[in-house]
Amino acid sequence: MRRLTLLLVVVTLVIVGLLPLAVMLGKSVIVDGRLTFAVYEKLFSNSGQYWVPIRHSLMLAALTAGGATLTGVPLGLLLGKTDLPMRRILAILFSIPLLLPPYILAVCWFNLLASDGILAPIIPERTLELLSHRLFDLPGCLWVLVSAFMPLVMILTLACLHAVNPRLEEAGRLIARWPAVLWRVTLPAILPGILFAAILVFLLALGEVGVPMYLRYPVLPVETLTQFAAFYDFGAAAAAASPLLAIVLAVLALEHLLLRDQTYRLRPTTPGRRMLSIRLRGWRVPAMLVVGLLATAIVVLPLLALIVSSLSPFAYGDAWLRAADALGRSLVFAGVGATLLTAVGFLCGYLIHNRALRIWRAVDTLTLLLFTLPGTVIGIGLVALWNRSGSAFLYASSALVIFAYIAQYTALTSRISTATLANVPPSLEEAAQMIGAPWFARLAYVVVPAAFPGVLAAWFTAFIFCFRDLGASMVVYPAGQDTLPVRIFTLMANGAPSLIAALCVLLVSVTLIAMAILGLLFQGWALRR
Amino acid sequence: MNAIELKAVSKTYDRVPAVDSVSTSIQRGERVVILGPSGCGKTTLLRLVAGLEVPDSGTLSIDGQPVAAGGHNLVEPEQRHIGMVFQDLALWPHMTVSQHLEFALRYDLRTKSADRPARIREVLEMVRMGNRALARPGELSGGQQQRVALARALVANPAILLMDEPLSSLDSDLNLHLRQELLTLYAALGFTLVYVTHNREEAEAIGTRVIAMRDGRTGDSAMTRAKPGNRQS
Repeated sequence: MRRLTLLLVVVTLVIVGLLPLAVMLGKSVIVDGRLTFAVYEKLFSNSGQYWVPIRHSLMLAALTAGGATLTGVPLGLLLGKTDLPMRRILAILFSIPLLLPPYILAVCWFNLLASDGILAPIIPERTLELLSHRLFDLPGCLWVLVSAFMPLVMILTLACLHAVNPRLEEAGRLIARWPAVLWRVTLPAILPGILFAAILVFLLALGEVGVPMYLRYPVLPVETLTQFAAFYDFGAAAAAASPLLAIVLAVLALEHLLLRDQTYRLRPTTPGRRMLSIRLRGWRVPAMLVVGLLATAIVVLPLLALIVSSLSPFAYGDAWLRAADALGRSLVFAGVGATLLTAVGFLCGYLIHNRALRIWRAVDTLTLLLFTLPGTVIGIGLVALWNRSGSAFLYASSALVIFAYIAQYTALTSRISTATLANVPPSLEEAAQMIGAPWFARLAYVVVPAAFPGVLAAWFTAFIFCFRDLGASMVVYPAGQDTLPVRIFTLMANGAPSLIAALCVLLVSVTLIAMAILGLLFQGWALRR
Repeated sequence: MNAIELKAVSKTYDRVPAVDSVSTSIQRGERVVILGPSGCGKTTLLRLVAGLEVPDSGTLSIDGQPVAAGGHNLVEPEQRHIGMVFQDLALWPHMTVSQHLEFALRYDLRTKSADRPARIREVLEMVRMGNRALARPGELSGGQQQRVALARALVANPAILLMDEPLSSLDSDLNLHLRQELLTLYAALGFTLVYVTHNREEAEAIGTRVIAMRDGRTGDSAMTRAKPGNRQS
C-alpha cells in the first residue's frame, strides 16, 4: 500500500509537471507531423528578439543572486546570531516581501518615486526624475528583485545557523574572538546552505515575469509570455521557453555537483543544545541603526507608499467592485491548492526522508526543477498537454490552475515536510508498525500528528504562494476565472494608480492575515506543549 | 520448538557488515540477552528479528515459519506479532497512556473491541500505571515512560518481546528496580525475551543465556546459574 501510494504521488507529479514540459518541447519541433526546427532558427536569427533577452535574464538573475546573498547573509547573522534587540520582529518584517508577488514591490516603488509620491517633498525634483528613470531599467529591476528575494537568503541563513553544532563554535571561542570564529568555523559550516540559497534566488529571478514586464526590462520569460499571449504563436513561445529550461537544468546539475547531500545535513539543534549568541556590546546601537535603515528602505517605505497611494475616497470601493470575484476565486483556489499541496508534499517528503523508493533523489530534483522553472513555462506546458479535444472539459475548468500550483510549489511543502520528518524519530512509526498498524493508520495516527507543526506550516506556506501566484496562473486561468494577482496585473495597463494600490493593499492584507493566523496557531501549539 | 531461528543472516550498511553471517536459535520462553560493545551489530540483529531491517542474505524464522529469506521480508513487521521496546522508547507525544494501549490493541484481531478497556486496565495495573492512564508522555517520569513502553509492547500479548537497551539511560537504582519488574512480568506472562545491552551486569541479571556479539558476529555462552523464572530449567 505504501509503495503504491507513493508511486501514485510520483505519477501525479510527472503528469502535472514533467509531461507538460515534454509535450511543450515536442510541439515546438513537430509541426504538422514533421520534425522541424524552423521556430528555433527564426528566433536564433533575430538577435534582438532572442539573444538580448537571454543576456538580460542571465545578468539580472546573477546580480540579484549576488545582491540578495551579500545582504541576506549578514542580516541573517545579525538577526540569528547576535543579541540585537527586536530580532524576531525584524526577521518577520524582513520576510514580508517574500510573501508578496514581486511585482507589487515594483508598484510600491513606482508610487514612491512618482512626482507626487511620498518622497517628492524630500528629494530634489531632478534626482527623483533620475531615480524614476532608473527604476524602469536594470537597476530598478535589480533593486526590486533583491528586496523580494533577499528574505529567502536571510531565512535559510537563520535555519542553517540553528543547525550548527554549538560545540564547534565553543571549541573555536577557546582560541579566537567571535569574528574569527564566524569566519573560520560558522560560515564554512553554513556555506552549503548559503550556496543553495544563492542558486535558488538565481533561478527565481531568472523566471520572474511580473517585475521585468511592469518595469519594461526585456527578459526571456517576458518574451515567452509575449509570444504566447500577444501573438498566440505556441511554437515560438515553447522555443523561447526552452533556453530557460536548459539554464535551470544546468544550474540544478551544478547545485547537485557542488552540494550533493549537504543540504540534507541541515538539522535543527536538538532540544537542550542552545545556539551560541554573540554579544554586540558597543556595536548594538550602530547595528540596530543599519538594520533599521535597511528595513525602512526595503519594507516599510514601499508598503507605506502603497498605503498612501491607496488612500483615495473611492479607491477601495472601486477595488471591491472590480475584483471581489477574483479575490473570492483566489481564496478558493489557494485553499484547494494548499490542501492538495500539503498532501502531495507530505508524501513526497516522506518518500525522500525515508528513501522509500529508489527514485527518491529524482523526485526531489523534479520538484526543485518545477519550483525554479518560470511559472509561464509550466503554464505553457500545461496548455500544450491539455488543450485538445479529449481533455477540453479539463482545459476549460479551473483544474489547470490547481495543476500549475501542484507542479510549481510541491518543492515547498515537500522540503518543509522533509525537514519536519527529520525531527520525528523513526522509532515512532516503527513502534506503530510493531503493533500491527497498517501504513495508512501509522501515517494518520502517528506520523502526521507527530509532524503536525510542519504540516500546518506547509499548508500556510502553500496557501500564501498559491495566493500570490502570477506566472502560471496568467497562462492557464480559464476565461472569466482569473485570480486576484492576474486581475491586478491586467488592470495595471489602464487602471488608476489609487485603484491598483488599493488592490495591492487588499492582496497584502490577506497574506498578512494568513501569516498572523499561522503565528497564532503555532503559539497555541507551543503553549499546549 | 525454536521461537526464533537465524541461519547465516547478514546485513551490510555501505559495504560495512553490521551483522555477519549470524546463525543462532532461541527457544520458546527463553530469556536471551545479546551483549556487546556499541556498534557491534546487536541492535541491527534485533531489528532484523523485528522485521524493521531486511537481511541481505540468510534465513530468519519465527515459530518455525520463515519470515525473511533471500534478501526479502516474507512477513512484514506488523504481521509478526512481536512486541518491542525501543531504546528511545518511541512514545507518541500526542497520545495519552491509555491511547497508546488502545491503538496497539486496535490491530490485534484476537482482542474483541468490547474487551479492550478491560485489557488496557489490566495491563496498566500490571505495570503500576493505572493512575496515569490519561497522562501524556511529556508528563511522566523516566521510569513511568519505561513502563508505558513496556505496557504497549505487552498489551497485545505477544509471544516474543524484544528490548533494545531500554534501561540504559536510567540511574542504577531505577535500573535495578525495573529489571525486577520485568522479571516479574516475564514470570507471569511467559513470553520469549530478547534483550539487548552493553552492560554485562544487566545481562547477567536478566538473561538465562547470553549471546556475545563483536564486529557483527556472535558466540553463544551459557549462563552458569539458573535464574528464577527460567522456563528451560
